[in-house]
Amino acid sequence: MTTLPPTELTRLDALAAIHHAFPSEPIVIALGTMVREMLLVAGRQPNHLHVLDAMGLVPAITLGVAMSPHGAAHARVVGIEGDGGLLMGLSSIATIGAARPENLVLIVLDNGAYAATGGQRTASPHLDLAGMARACGFQTHDIRTAAGLAVAMLDAKVRPGPWLLRISIGPKNQAAPYFLPDPVELAIDFRRYLQVPIERRADDESPAT
Amino acid sequence: MPPLTTALGIDSREVVARRADEVTRAIDHIRPTHVLWIPSSTLKSVIDSIEVRAREGTWISMPITREEEGIGIASGLTLGGARPLLVIQDNGIGNCLTALTTFPQPYHLPIVMLVSQRGGLNEYNSMIHTLGERVEDILDAADIRTFLLDERVPVERWATSIVGAWEHAEMTHRPVAVLLNLLY
Repeated sequence: MTTLPPTELTRLDALAAIHHAFPSEPIVIALGTMVREMLLVAGRQPNHLHVLDAMGLVPAITLGVAMSPHGAAHARVVGIEGDGGLLMGLSSIATIGAARPENLVLIVLDNGAYAATGGQRTASPHLDLAGMARACGFQTHDIRTAAGLAVAMLDAKVRPGPWLLRISIGPKNQAAPYFLPDPVELAIDFRRYLQVPIERRADDESPAT
Repeated sequence: MPPLTTALGIDSREVVARRADEVTRAIDHIRPTHVLWIPSSTLKSVIDSIEVRAREGTWISMPITREEEGIGIASGLTLGGARPLLVIQDNGIGNCLTALTTFPQPYHLPIVMLVSQRGGLNEYNSMIHTLGERVEDILDAADIRTFLLDERVPVERWATSIVGAWEHAEMTHRPVAVLLNLLY
């Protein structure tokens, strides 16, 4: 077995690339460091749903959004999950694989640890997460470099999914404040965002002539 | 004398079938966009009907792997403008309590679960009672509204009660469970 070099990427790098690649696509973001560091990178975005708890549920929630009438209108619906969360809700990749939503992109930020609770190890270093997803019918990329990240984002945007992008990230967490909103507001904002027809949103954003 | 209906004695299939028909009638009336299910032997005819309707294009029918996964998928569907229905067993409630109380409940999403109640009188599987008989109390402690249908509710009222529970979830913006005891 070959030993891979350490990943070039941090969680902030990965989140910045995701925000850049999917600026208006619905994104479901898992709890803890992912939610908090995405807020550092992008601030509150109307296309972001912050899942403040419910560990392991992001793949399932993303599948629901991707299959919903308003979600299906989007070319891509993105879920951001950690390796611990993916392993907790692992059976969802079977259900996603069976449903085969072409617009679903599940991005796994894999640091091999439970970051929010002190960095305790997960089983991920012993597993082939992308291989498991491929066995369930996903398209996948295993990413460890900035160049690989750019290629994978583009590929997931242009070729039909479902996609699982496993991004290896380093162990470092960025200091970030707690995010303690009323979750009802988060749900209402995201639901409202999904309701707005995509054509109208594009018109709103086009420069005045 | 009418026949006795007990778990170990006289056949209760007719009673189960009549109640299951009412559950099917209610789902047909509600016409959810998606039905997510884990089967139960008492709801076999209901699941069969859900699958037939799906093949006819009435809704999308999906088997799920675990109950909490169903809560997650149903929540995402609801956020995106769908109206999903979950069909599960009472002994799976333990699997989804955390998902229920940490996502659709605090985010105010109206998720409706039809839960076949197996624990209690006339159930033959001794493993089911410990959790199943307490499911109403467990959901109550978790602040999840439940409506119980068993022999104390005339079978003619089953379909309207299920439709009422569906509307209740919509009006209260909260998850709602309907416990369906087809055996008692």
